[in-house]
Amino acid sequence: MNRQWKNHLDQLIFLGPACLLLAMFLLAPIVVNFLVAFTEMAQTIHFDNFPTTRQFEKLGKLDSDALFGFELRRSFFKALALSGTFVFFTLLFFNLSFALILALTTTAMPERLGSFFRAVWLLPRMSPSVVYGLLWLWVVDSSERGLFNQIWTFFGGETLNLRLDFSMAVIVVSNGLIGASLGMVIFTSAIRSIPIQLFHAARADGAGSFALIRYIILPALRWPISYITIYQALALLVSFEYIFLIMGPARQTMTMAMLSYTKTLAPQIGGGQYAYGAAIALILIVIGIIAALGMWRLTKMDRLLQRPRIEVR
Amino acid sequence: MFKKVLLGAALAVFGSMQLTPLFAEEVTIKLWSRADRSGPLRPGNIVEAANQMNRMFAAAGSDTQVKIELIETNSKGFDDDALSLLKAHSVGETPDIAVAAHEWIGSFVEAGLAANLEGHIKANAGMYADMIPQLWNSVSYKGERYGVPQDSEIRMFFINNDILRAAGKSEDYISSLPGLVEAGDFTMYDWCDLAAEAVKSGAAKVGWVHRPNVGPDFQMAMASFGIDIYNEEQAKLQITRKGLVEYYGWLQYCVNNGSLPADMTSYSWDSTHAAFRGGDSMGKFHGIWNVGAQLEAFGLKGKEDYFRKLTWIHAPPAKKGGQPKNLSHPIVYIVGDTPNKDLAAMLVGMASQHVPNTAHAVGTNHTPINYGQTAMPDFQERGWALIAGTPMLKYAEFMPNHAKIGQYNAITYTGVQAVETGEMSPEDAADMVLEELEVELGSDVIILD
Repeated sequence: MNRQWKNHLDQLIFLGPACLLLAMFLLAPIVVNFLVAFTEMAQTIHFDNFPTTRQFEKLGKLDSDALFGFELRRSFFKALALSGTFVFFTLLFFNLSFALILALTTTAMPERLGSFFRAVWLLPRMSPSVVYGLLWLWVVDSSERGLFNQIWTFFGGETLNLRLDFSMAVIVVSNGLIGASLGMVIFTSAIRSIPIQLFHAARADGAGSFALIRYIILPALRWPISYITIYQALALLVSFEYIFLIMGPARQTMTMAMLSYTKTLAPQIGGGQYAYGAAIALILIVIGIIAALGMWRLTKMDRLLQRPRIEVR
Repeated sequence: MFKKVLLGAALAVFGSMQLTPLFAEEVTIKLWSRADRSGPLRPGNIVEAANQMNRMFAAAGSDTQVKIELIETNSKGFDDDALSLLKAHSVGETPDIAVAAHEWIGSFVEAGLAANLEGHIKANAGMYADMIPQLWNSVSYKGERYGVPQDSEIRMFFINNDILRAAGKSEDYISSLPGLVEAGDFTMYDWCDLAAEAVKSGAAKVGWVHRPNVGPDFQMAMASFGIDIYNEEQAKLQITRKGLVEYYGWLQYCVNNGSLPADMTSYSWDSTHAAFRGGDSMGKFHGIWNVGAQLEAFGLKGKEDYFRKLTWIHAPPAKKGGQPKNLSHPIVYIVGDTPNKDLAAMLVGMASQHVPNTAHAVGTNHTPINYGQTAMPDFQERGWALIAGTPMLKYAEFMPNHAKIGQYNAITYTGVQAVETGEMSPEDAADMVLEELEVELGSDVIILD
């Protein structure tokens, strides 16, 4: 009996802090968000009229003629579409492709030079987000003072207003350049773990650089790519920090996460509708869970996390 | 025994003498105000009123002392600050006095935050007898007063005369503009045409600029297009599709003719100010408190210099023969519904007297709250711009004190964004805004057509 209690105590000491942190910072916010979404909490932060579906009724209405039996409100549909576009392109072009290119090129260089370039690419991640946002505002400034326009006009182009005419591209590139560094670090470490003999053997068999990438590196990167895809897709889905800093509450970049922020906490643009924002966030959580499970199945991530079959004697 | 009793009594008397100051009543008044460089004396005048009250108590031999506990917030604007104030109230941290934008009074009353000041104002009629009567409308909610105006202001379209001169306009034409607007002979469309002409002639880089975010200025322009946003009888907000289409149509016209930047709604405040004060823009749609910064930016000295450089006009009417519009957006003191509300209201009354209010008004370019202030030497010497602006209050309207006005403004602003950036036609933007208003505000808004 004593031994059993001691076991329980050990488990509590060992796992307790982690469980407490999980409960406080991951589960509790979701539970609170869930409950608030079914109230009419507004400016006075009172837990009014629980439970009510009033907030969800603002996002769409039942319609028997519609394809899925309900019709989304235009702004909400637009926010969904913008979120999808933003996540898809940032993930495809930057968090995966560009990160992979960075990892491949910096590992192909002499080690010290490669480390230097990787460190440079990590700089945006290390700088405060407001500084990064300000730099981007200077880059995309619509006057001839903007960095992009300085370069563009040097080559004979007319000044462009990127925030107005290419707003989605601006948030994709700005988020992508900062997000690529994570993939770069993970992919670099995976490439480094490939036994060097494999490369020597392939070279001896006459393999070129592309063949090395195609037949040795990419198969080894399968799990890191799957992991980065799922992780970054979820991160981008709820990301609004750089969008808000660079674009403000512009309609062209009003993604789901931005919509939730502007309806609740954003200053001077109609905040204070906490239950409404919570309802939008709840839908984001559901979309995130479905997307994560879908990609989990699609990439067969369960095989990565299963018990290793190697027997250690 | 007797000696002991005597000693004990002496000690008790001595002790009580020593302890008297400890028992003096100290009343702490919590004062909520955002740190705002456009009005440091808004809380400062309350602090000075408390000092004066303490001197009165001392003169009357009372030990009561009033202490002001200043809760200075770093909110970005008055809307942000009002939301923080409501949150503080919800968790039982209601301040005794708060400095706020008047249109939030409806929310404050509904939340049980603001005390009804009718009794206080009537009982102390002498303190408020000289108040400009129209300003009381800004603190009234459902027919009763829940605040005291702290300052008022007047909004206008500023015109850079030098740009008009460079565009070939005569002095006679420039000086006739305010009169033309008053007479209804210069419309909102004429404004955009004039600005476009300035850009085309090369005299201006930008035609005109408006605020880059949600705010009261837009109500002035909406009023020009016949949108009366408040139904006083039903105490509800209201809107018309026709008015919205015309209002958004005008903005589209201005963008299309090159007078208004298409990305105006994504400007920062700094770049908005810089466009006008840097001499790039012919016009700017804002308010009288800009005068100080304009004097500095353009290097102007005094009234004559200023009006040679700049002209003020109301928001012109939408159509020829119509009436111009203006808007005043007073900042107000509200008194929290707390046990100290009577004392807090007296402090507000003292801070609203001519001398302290003039120190704020002249120092920060806000129009006065009392008639007599304009006769004061300080006003005559330093407040020439405010005296010049006061007649413009003739056409002034106020934002309605409705609990949902913040949401209403934010939604109508999304239409401005959609039209100016070319995302939607005026008709589509109006439909989108009406849908949003109906969904988010429900029965608080009446769609008139």
